[in-house]
Amino acid sequence: MKEDKIKNLLQKADQTAGGPVPVSANLAAAVRRRANRRQTVNLAARIAAAAVVLFALGIWSFTAKKARDRQRIVALEMQIKQLKVQTDATLNFIREVLEEERKQRRLDELQAQLASIPDPLEEIQKQVDKTAFILVYQANRMYRELNQKDPAVQAYNRVIELFPQSRWAEVARQRLSEIQNDQIDNSKGDLI
Amino acid sequence: MSNIVVMAETIDDELLVKQFNQGDDSAFDRIVEGHSTDIAVLANRLLGWPGEVEDVVQEVLLAAFVGLKKFRCECSLKSWLFTITINKCRSYRCKQMLYFRFFSRAAAKASAAPSSAADSMQIDNETFDRVRRAIQSLPLKYREPVVLRYLQELSMDETARILSISRNALQVRLSRARERLRGDLAELIG
Repeated sequence: MKEDKIKNLLQKADQTAGGPVPVSANLAAAVRRRANRRQTVNLAARIAAAAVVLFALGIWSFTAKKARDRQRIVALEMQIKQLKVQTDATLNFIREVLEEERKQRRLDELQAQLASIPDPLEEIQKQVDKTAFILVYQANRMYRELNQKDPAVQAYNRVIELFPQSRWAEVARQRLSEIQNDQIDNSKGDLI
Repeated sequence: MSNIVVMAETIDDELLVKQFNQGDDSAFDRIVEGHSTDIAVLANRLLGWPGEVEDVVQEVLLAAFVGLKKFRCECSLKSWLFTITINKCRSYRCKQMLYFRFFSRAAAKASAAPSSAADSMQIDNETFDRVRRAIQSLPLKYREPVVLRYLQELSMDETARILSISRNALQVRLSRARERLRGDLAELIG
């Protein structure tokens, strides 16, 4: 009973509130338009989503390519460093070899220069020989051309005294003996 | 007699859905023509008699337009449309609550205007206004059965099917709604 009373009260309250504003006559057309618009929006959203995905993929691909390129660059840099180290080592070796060769050449040159320098002892010997020869030559000229016997004998004696081992000392002795022989012969002649 | 009417309605619904699925635009026109008023009335009641409910009606019909191909005619087209209406009204109320929460000043102004207008109304109107407010103040799970059962005058089975609850649950909800209304409107009910 009370349910009916409540129901009646509610229905009266509903009736006094008035019905809804009448919907427009072309409601179906409006709904179709909205459906089409929503479909278009959905399509646009899908296209936009696909574009975003493609863009993201592009960025990801670009980033991945960049990362790969960076890795390749790092690897190449490593290779370049290794090659540089190897090249430096080779260059150092070549430099050492060239230095060795240069030193060897310098040594050869020095040895050649050393070889070209005359033996001083031999030189002295030559000078000695030459001096002895000149003394003997002077003595010969004094004795034979200038007929200065005593200076000539002194010169021969000097050669014998100064250069006793030289061949000119022998020559001087020979001349002295010849001079002595000549003196003997002359004295014999005088005696005769 | 009522069974014959129901059967005729069901056959008519199936025919309309079939025509719609075959691409006949006029089928949707007939569905709109036949049900838009009922949808508007229900939405008006569920939303607290705002009068202007065309947006909600359009939303309901749009959802129906999109989902009609999936409709299997397991219930009447009207029940199906009422189910959609209830769901759309719930969404609409949620949106409104959020809106009023963010723009509470606007809500205060909006609520102030009818009250001043109500002052000039007659006593009966004030009483019925109070009754409507009492219905509006019911929780959703009680308000929807009350509107469907007492105002739309649907059968218990149809109401239960639309709300996707059992018949017993519906009875419990209706009973509790009546208790609340009795509490709020004690002097009117007696």
